[in-house]
Amino acid sequence: MRLLRPAAAGLFTLLLATACQRGPLQATAHLPATSTSQPVGRDIAPNAGADAIIKPYHDKVLAQMQEVLGVAPVALSKEPGENLIVNFVADLQRTAAAQALHQPIALGVMTNGGMRSPLPAGPITLGNVFELMPFENELVVVDAPGPVVQQLFNYAAPVRMAVSGATYTVGSDKRPQNILIGGQPFDPAKTYPIAISDYLAGGGDNMTFLRGVPERDTGLLLRSAIADHIRALTKAGQPVTAKIEGRVK
Amino acid sequence: MHSRRSFLQKTALGTAGLSLLGPSLITEAAAGPARLTILHTNDMHSRIEPFPESAPQWAGLGGMARREALIDSVRRQEPNVLLLDSGDIWQGTPYFNFFQGELEYKLMSRMKYDASTFGNHDFDNGLGGLQKQLPNAGFPFLIANYDFGGTPLAGRFQPYKVFEKGGARIGVFGLGIELQGLVADKNFGATQYLDPVTVAKAQVQQLRQNERCDMVICLSHLGYKYEGEKIDDRKLAAQVGGIDLILGGHTHTFMPAPEPITGPQGHITLINQVGWSGINLGRIDYELRRGARPVRAVGSLVLPVGATC
Repeated sequence: MRLLRPAAAGLFTLLLATACQRGPLQATAHLPATSTSQPVGRDIAPNAGADAIIKPYHDKVLAQMQEVLGVAPVALSKEPGENLIVNFVADLQRTAAAQALHQPIALGVMTNGGMRSPLPAGPITLGNVFELMPFENELVVVDAPGPVVQQLFNYAAPVRMAVSGATYTVGSDKRPQNILIGGQPFDPAKTYPIAISDYLAGGGDNMTFLRGVPERDTGLLLRSAIADHIRALTKAGQPVTAKIEGRVK
Repeated sequence: MHSRRSFLQKTALGTAGLSLLGPSLITEAAAGPARLTILHTNDMHSRIEPFPESAPQWAGLGGMARREALIDSVRRQEPNVLLLDSGDIWQGTPYFNFFQGELEYKLMSRMKYDASTFGNHDFDNGLGGLQKQLPNAGFPFLIANYDFGGTPLAGRFQPYKVFEKGGARIGVFGLGIELQGLVADKNFGATQYLDPVTVAKAQVQQLRQNERCDMVICLSHLGYKYEGEKIDDRKLAAQVGGIDLILGGHTHTFMPAPEPITGPQGHITLINQVGWSGINLGRIDYELRRGARPVRAVGSLVLPVGATC
């Protein structure tokens, strides 16, 4: 109402000019008292024809979501600090990126925030993987110069975030110490490839230090990489597991 | 006849308020007013089925079969319906991952959408992915500020379309958001983004002058409102005169009512956006009143009236 009054006042002159010079046509908007949005809610009976068209698609989605990709002896869940699900995903990111680009990838990064749901103990379905990774993030490799890698560990240390391919110690000042990458001391003069989602590489989750760092595509959707990795484990007769192995000390 | 009507209008304007304005013109009209009902959606994001009952938010809401039923019920009551969408039809549920947007387009075609425009997520499967699904879309995509020249989609889309409803000519054009930085480069290829304000001014000129439209609607995926310089629907309305209605998207804004913005020469533009995921269907009803002069008269106006005004 407060908004409409000055607007309506402005209309008078326009109508006069318009009506006199160009002939009358008015499109008068009748706005309902409550809202112009009609809720599409439970009280509306669905159109039967549309439902019939959706049904076979629905059944296929359901069937595919129920596909069992592998089996986890224990749940891979998300705890503060180093945890099973982040270790599992960050590790497979390195493996998948290395396969795609035909070269070893030193580091793998996934945040707790990026993992939306644990993988439960027992059969792991494609639906579980969708819940874990609902976003359409792509797996990319950023070639991070030493100072950027240092910033990555500065970011990781206060929350004791594990980084695949590395170990480090959190100092009393919450700064990273004794950073080892591939078992070797971190060299600030070197450039390290990092397997990461395009979301984080673009500065998501406040990883602003990664913005502008050269990035290479793997052509893999992260969710597909996770699902394919689990399928490959199963094919090799292996369970879906990860370890807390002291990546953060 | 003409001078008498003008006299009455001037009198009404000079002496009475808004409430008298409408009725004074009704009595002048040679024909009774026609009704135009705009129905619209934005950012449906592949929400084919309602949100699951277990969803933390919007549980049980939305669903395209229900939307179709709602649209059908409006069509049974209203003779002149325009059904429009403002982009981001795709991405958000496994239906898109598994079927690449086929079902979304098929269901929208059943609902008889009149037009849509492109959102950034409509490029998620690249230009090739879009091209592949176009045969399933029985409605046009209107886009005025993307130049697809030099891409496989060159010449496939029109900037605008004119609809004749209730004796009125309604021009609808589309505007998309800048793709660079929002969509992976390889997914939009050589598509060029053109300045929305410059393009919109030219579209209004084309629709009002050459196409003699009575009403101009912009389907926008620019977004409702941003801090700073980034173009949005409110800035567009303030900078470009002659758009009656902007049906927006991208920012998933739930607007309880359309917002009027006064643009150049005092033209009022209404902006509306109805959230996302097909949770709501937007509806704006217009009354089209025409005097005794020929239909070619092109004066056009949006008067926001009704109980809330």
